[in-house]
Amino acid sequence: MSGLLSRTVMWLTWRQLFARRRVWLAVAFALAPLFFTLVFMVVGDDGTDARVGFLGVLQRDIVIGTLLPLAGVIFGTTAFGGEVDDGTLVYLLVKPIPRWQVVLSKLAVASLSTFAVIAPAVMLPWLVLRNADLPFSFAGGFLAGAAVGSLIYCALFLSLGLATRRALVVGLLYVIGFEATLSRSLGGLRSLSVREFSIAISQAASAGAVKIPDALSMATVYWMGTIILVGAVAWTMRKLVQYEMAERL
Amino acid sequence: MTTLAPEVVPMSAPTRAVVELRGVSRWYGNVVAVNDVSFSLGSGITGLLGPNGAGKSTILHMMAGLLRPSAGTVLVDGMSPAGNPDAYRRLGLVPEREAVQPFLTGFEFVRTCARLQGLPDADAAAARAIVQVDLENAQHRKVGTYSKGMRQRIKIAGALVHDPAVVLLDEPFNGMDPRQRLDMMDVLREEAANGRVIVISSHILEELHDLATNVLVMVSGRLAASGHFREIRRLMTDRPHTFTLRSSDDRRLGTALLAHSSVFSVELAATGAVVRTADRGAMTRELPRIARGIGVRLFEIRPTDESLESVFSYLVDQ
Repeated sequence: MSGLLSRTVMWLTWRQLFARRRVWLAVAFALAPLFFTLVFMVVGDDGTDARVGFLGVLQRDIVIGTLLPLAGVIFGTTAFGGEVDDGTLVYLLVKPIPRWQVVLSKLAVASLSTFAVIAPAVMLPWLVLRNADLPFSFAGGFLAGAAVGSLIYCALFLSLGLATRRALVVGLLYVIGFEATLSRSLGGLRSLSVREFSIAISQAASAGAVKIPDALSMATVYWMGTIILVGAVAWTMRKLVQYEMAERL
Repeated sequence: MTTLAPEVVPMSAPTRAVVELRGVSRWYGNVVAVNDVSFSLGSGITGLLGPNGAGKSTILHMMAGLLRPSAGTVLVDGMSPAGNPDAYRRLGLVPEREAVQPFLTGFEFVRTCARLQGLPDADAAAARAIVQVDLENAQHRKVGTYSKGMRQRIKIAGALVHDPAVVLLDEPFNGMDPRQRLDMMDVLREEAANGRVIVISSHILEELHDLATNVLVMVSGRLAASGHFREIRRLMTDRPHTFTLRSSDDRRLGTALLAHSSVFSVELAATGAVVRTADRGAMTRELPRIARGIGVRLFEIRPTDESLESVFSYLVDQ
C-alpha cells in the first residue's frame, strides 16, 4: 500500500462494483452490440459500405454515445455512493490512508471496470464484421475513445456519489438530458460533452479508419477534457477530506 | 449538577494513551449537539451514558476524527484525529450502524481492516481478532448472512485487529444476546487490563454494570455528571420516584401513606392517587401492608416517571 493507489481499496471497490446483479448488467452491456451485429448479419445488407456504415453508427451512437455513459454512471456512482448509503464508508475513513489515495484508487477501479465492459462491446462487433475496409485501427480508435471517456465519466460520477445520495438518478438525468439531448442540439455545449471528446479521440486514434466530419478539434478535447477531469478529481478529494459523518439529531 | 471527579490519568504520563476534550462544542446550524464538554480519560473502560440525542455519538465521532468540533480541542494520544490519518494507527472505532460490506466474508472484512492498517501479516492478525470475538465458526460466511449480534462482533474484531491504544465503541451491545454480551464484556475487560483506553457509549446504565469504571453522563449535549459507576448508579436509584395508585378508596389509602416517612406527597387525580416517595424500595414493601391494615383493596401500581429522560433530567437538576 504505497504510491498513488491502495491495492486494498482497489480490491474492496472491485468487489463492491461487481456485487450482486451488477455482474449481469455488465455482461449485458458488453454483449448487447454483438447481439445487434448478429441481427444485422441476418437481416441487413452484406455489402462493404453497409458494414462500415452500420459499425460506425453502432460504435458512435450505441457504444460510445449510450453504453459508455451508462456504464460510467453505474460504476462511477456506486464506487462511493453505495458506501455512503449503507454507512460502510466509515471503515475506510478511520484507517491510516490518505483520503486522496482512496479517491484515486476508486477512480482507477471504476474507470477500468467501465472500460472492461465497453472494450468487448467495441471489439466483438468488429471481429464479426471486420474486412479490408474495417481494419483493427477502426476498433482501436473507438477503444482509445472509450478509455478516455471511461476515465472522465467516472471522475464526474465519482464526485456525484459524494455530492448527493441520489447520484444514480442525477447521473442518469445528466446522461439523458445533457449528453444525449442538449449537447447534440446546442452546438456550443458540444465542447463540454464527454461523449464528443470520446468520438473525437476515436477518430484521431484510428489512423483515418473512422471518419466523423463534425468531430471536435483535439485541442478542445485536450483542454476541456483535462479541466473537467482534474476539476472533478480535485473536488472529490476535497469533499472526502472534509467529509463528516451525518448525525441523527 | 453533581459532578464526581473521574479518575483522570495525568496528561504527562508518557507511555499511556490519553483522550482529552477541552471545551468541546459542536453545532449543526442552530442546533447545539454538544455544548462545552471537557474531560480526560486514561486506560480502562469509560461509559458514555445518555438518552438518544444526548450527543454521545457526536462526542465519539469527534474523538474518531469523523467530525470536527465547532469549538474546543479533541486530542487522542496527543494528536487531533480530524484530518490526520496517522491517528488511526492508534485508534479503533466500532460505529453504531450495523452495516458491514455484505459481500465480504467475516474473515475478509477483518483482513481488509488489517491490510488498510498496513499490518505485515494481515491474515494472522485477522485470525487472532476473530478468535477474540469467538467467530471462528462463521468467519468464512458472508457478513450479509450474519445475525445482528454477529455483525457487532465482527465489527469489534475489525476495530481490534491492529491492537489500537484507544477503542471507541458506539452502542456495541445492540443486538447481542446475554451470553454474547457477557463474552464481549470479558474481551473488553481484557483489552482494558492491557492498558487500552476503551470508551463505550450506551443509553442503558445496566449495560455498563461490572464493565465501566468511570461513567460520563450526557444530557442534551452537556456533561451532566461524571464519576465512578457505583456513584452514578446510586444517584439514579436514590432519586425521588412517582407512582400512580388505583384502589378501592384512594383518599383513605393516600392519607395512610402520608404517615409513612418515605412519602413526600400524595395528590388525588382522576387517574388515581399520585404518590411521590424518596425510597422506592421501602414504599413498595410497605404499601401492601398499609393497604391491608386499613382494609383498602389495591388495583394498580404504576410508576409514572421511569422514562430514561426523567432519570437523566433528575441528574441535571441536581
